[in-house]
Amino acid sequence: MNTHAKSGYLFVAPFLLVFAAMLVAPLAYAAYLSLFREQLIGGTVFAGFENYTRALQDDRLMDGVLRVARFFVIQVPLMLALSLASALAIDSGLLRFAKVFRLGIFIPYAVPAVVATLMWGYLYGPDFGPFAQLAGKLGLPAPPFLSDDWMLGSMANIVTWEFVGYNMIILYAALRAVPHDLYEAAAVDGAGAWRIAWSIKIPALRPALLLCLIFSVIGSFQLFAEPQLLQRLAPSVIDSGYTPNLYAYTLAFTGQEVNYAAAVSFLLGAVIVVASYTVLFVSGRRSRS
Amino acid sequence: MTGTLERTGTAAPARHRKSLASRRSNVLTLGMLALLVYFLLPLFWLGVASTKSTEDLFSTFGLWFAGDLNLFTNIKETFTYGDGVYLRWMLNTLFYSLVSAGGAAFLAALGGYGFAKYRFRGNNALFGLVLGSIMVPTTALAIPTYLLFSKVGMVNTPLAIILPSLVSPFGLYLMRIYAQDAVPDSLIEAGRIDGAGEMSIFFRLALRSLAPGIITVLLFTLVATWNNYFLPLIMLNDPDLYPITVGLAAWSSQSAGGGSGSTGELLALVVTGSMLSIIPLIAAFLLLQRYWQSGLSAGGVKG
Amino acid sequence: MKAVKRFSAALLVLCLAACTGDSAGDDGGSAAPPAAQADIDKALQTPTKLVFWTWVPDIQKEVTLFEQKYPAIDVEVVNAGQGEPQYTKLRTALKAGSGAPDVAQIEFQYIPTFSLTKSLVDLRPYGAEALKDTFVDWTWNQVTGANGEIWGYPQDTGPMGMLYRKDIFDKHGIAVPKTWDEFAAAARKLHAADPNVYLTNLASNQNGAWMGLLWQAGAKPFTNTGPESVTVSLNDDVSKKVGSYWGGLIAEGVVSADADFTDAWYQALNRGKYATWLTAAWGPVFLTGSAKSTTGKWRAAPLPQWQSGGQEVSGNWGGSTSAVITGTKNPIAAAKFAEFLNTDPESTKKLALEQFLFPATKAVLADPAFTGQKPEFYGGQAVNQEFARISDTVDKQFQWPPFLDQAVNDWDETVGKSFADKSDTSAALDEWQKRVTDYAKNQGFKVNE
Repeated sequence: MNTHAKSGYLFVAPFLLVFAAMLVAPLAYAAYLSLFREQLIGGTVFAGFENYTRALQDDRLMDGVLRVARFFVIQVPLMLALSLASALAIDSGLLRFAKVFRLGIFIPYAVPAVVATLMWGYLYGPDFGPFAQLAGKLGLPAPPFLSDDWMLGSMANIVTWEFVGYNMIILYAALRAVPHDLYEAAAVDGAGAWRIAWSIKIPALRPALLLCLIFSVIGSFQLFAEPQLLQRLAPSVIDSGYTPNLYAYTLAFTGQEVNYAAAVSFLLGAVIVVASYTVLFVSGRRSRS
Repeated sequence: MTGTLERTGTAAPARHRKSLASRRSNVLTLGMLALLVYFLLPLFWLGVASTKSTEDLFSTFGLWFAGDLNLFTNIKETFTYGDGVYLRWMLNTLFYSLVSAGGAAFLAALGGYGFAKYRFRGNNALFGLVLGSIMVPTTALAIPTYLLFSKVGMVNTPLAIILPSLVSPFGLYLMRIYAQDAVPDSLIEAGRIDGAGEMSIFFRLALRSLAPGIITVLLFTLVATWNNYFLPLIMLNDPDLYPITVGLAAWSSQSAGGGSGSTGELLALVVTGSMLSIIPLIAAFLLLQRYWQSGLSAGGVKG
Repeated sequence: MKAVKRFSAALLVLCLAACTGDSAGDDGGSAAPPAAQADIDKALQTPTKLVFWTWVPDIQKEVTLFEQKYPAIDVEVVNAGQGEPQYTKLRTALKAGSGAPDVAQIEFQYIPTFSLTKSLVDLRPYGAEALKDTFVDWTWNQVTGANGEIWGYPQDTGPMGMLYRKDIFDKHGIAVPKTWDEFAAAARKLHAADPNVYLTNLASNQNGAWMGLLWQAGAKPFTNTGPESVTVSLNDDVSKKVGSYWGGLIAEGVVSADADFTDAWYQALNRGKYATWLTAAWGPVFLTGSAKSTTGKWRAAPLPQWQSGGQEVSGNWGGSTSAVITGTKNPIAAAKFAEFLNTDPESTKKLALEQFLFPATKAVLADPAFTGQKPEFYGGQAVNQEFARISDTVDKQFQWPPFLDQAVNDWDETVGKSFADKSDTSAALDEWQKRVTDYAKNQGFKVNE
């Protein structure tokens, strides 16, 4: 292998070059920016870690982090359970029109977040949205989708709608990779479809599930488009610190505190890394036990 | 559907496995049907809403059609408003996403293959670095990237959208896993024995086995670029360069901004434009079904 | 590997170079010597390309008039987004040092924000001072800086009035309220008579309308006392009076506080949930397009007053200017273009009649072709004439802070939120004051409270 090692660099070089230019360089620049402090009056001065200490004491940032953590705990298990159930159902062979279901559930993935949020925002409408209209006909109060208490759930619904199909496809692909003779052997042993799903398929899906989980950690903590677009509909519920990413964006573009925004983004990245490793660690331990 | 339900419902509780399975399949089908309704309902709304005039949009029941069909007027308006800028946005999106996805898939295939099949110094460290970068928040990158691009005069050009989209750490990860199994070492060895260079082994032997994986990565990056909003929003100033997402958002804010020169009439165009904008991608998934699904299953067989 | 390292090192150097470059600013404060007529003539005859950012639909018509008069100059019209999205782009482009336009549409309230960052060119050297009397007086104050700089030419305005549903008023026997007291009484009466209808909706996300109402009440929330100091007075007696008035009506449940310009809000307008819309002079045309199903039912009236029998006063909501952006290579051509667009008789008339911008020039406001219009939507009432009259009653002294985005953002999360939550507006005003002063101090301003 050693003689060919050099060729290895040749293969990975194009990717790494673009990676360095498009990811590492801006990141390094952001790191550099985060060490300064720019005022509207007085210009730019070196500030050391001042931005970081400020961020650690920033209540609004902490609120945002806790909120997305709560979002993660509510939304991700639900989404992955739905994805897993759909993938298993479609793979089970027990389903009529499996192809239709697979495509139908997957289609929302092809809808941009902008359009998805626009649609759900309309459906959520408290006065004249279809759900409010239906509730009105039944003599019930309109469900307050956009209220303070419901917002996180409403947002979780949009994200679930967007990404169940995506996760389902990943899981489904992993299921197809399970050697079929395993099922046949189990079936010969008299195991039913449920049993096969429970004791063969789900364990085989562990790595794929873990992958989906990690992506969901990242997605949750980076939540941006949905709250940003829903903000217009419920400005008093979603403030600029609703999610940490929205907060960073507002800091940079509204408050023009680019330096502080860079520090916040860095801390957010650190939170995501820690959360991801926690997930890996916990699930790794459980799989061994 | 009700017919099948009744039949199974009235059937005596069967003990043997075959009828048990068929009863369950109906229950399962019904459950999945409910799920399907959930996933398609908003799209149904979008379809219905795009047949309405702005006025009907605000005054009729959301989930059903208004008296008069305004779909064709809306479509015509959408394509002719602002000198037909909508079509331009669609073509831009198509161009950006095809080039980005093609480039990203190719880089990922090359890199994934390299990481999977060659043991060089720093292999694991570099791969770990790339993988770790998935966790970097995108908003942290957008502003510095903009500043860097402006120094080399690339802001407000298609390159500003395409270049950052060429990096797909997830694509690299997928291709590495895929290449590990899909390209047997023996194939590479055989190529070497035949005296082929490393590159020609990749292009002439490995690429074919990698094709299903590449298509998968291609489609996923295609969707990512197609749906990208934040990056083009920051990078582009010229509406002629906008992709469809930014264009629609611009119309939407034009209709929602209030103040001078704004109008609520654009709202019908935003809805119709949204409806039209998701058709190509859905059509692509439907038409390429055989392709990407065989890609996924082929990956499964190899696995 | 080495190549990778070197490449990323090079990029790093590039970044470092990038951030040292952006602190250099052009001169903005001190007045440059006036441009000689010969230079102006020469500039207008030299082939030049100007980029103009605006979100006014079809403004190309007026731009073409300019291009016909000065064939050497080619103006590219770019719609970079409406309001905040455009300002965000403008800011990043200025920061990056490339990609900014020569001329941009800037709303009145953003002028101090952009003049503070030295992003606007003083138009005095290009003959701006001579045009003072062309424009409505209060608009000229809005574009004038602390040292007499002229930061832009007013293009359109939004003096505030009240659009009301005559049919709803008639049905419930409500007279058009002349004072805010009458307005409050009418709000209670109407909502009691029909719980599905509110006399008005004060949008909890609409700082613009709120500032207009403060403006009418004679509040002075911000006073720019110098380039580096600002007076912030968001919870003084006047503000508290306006705040508790609206907070009270909303908490009572007789005025709604729905977010505006949303689907639900459009639907509500069409379905008669709100009996009035306290809006600006651009509102009538806007409503005509957005609430077609209510044609003929609306009328226009001035805002209710705080004092009965006193002199009628109003505030302003919206409206914008054409400003020349720092860094333009052709300041003379750019300034002359902005001037032509907003002062040429044909251009300004077209802006009013074809682009439906509410005029900022005295001439068009007095033009029968404009004021004589009697749209069917308003039952044949001459709404333009009504608003032209209101335009004269706008208070002249109102000022905006040099960090508007932040002030608005903080308002949304304090005062606006108190409307939505029906919580204590007075406490919210205190919180707003605190947040804004904290921010200003953090940004290095000397703050007087």
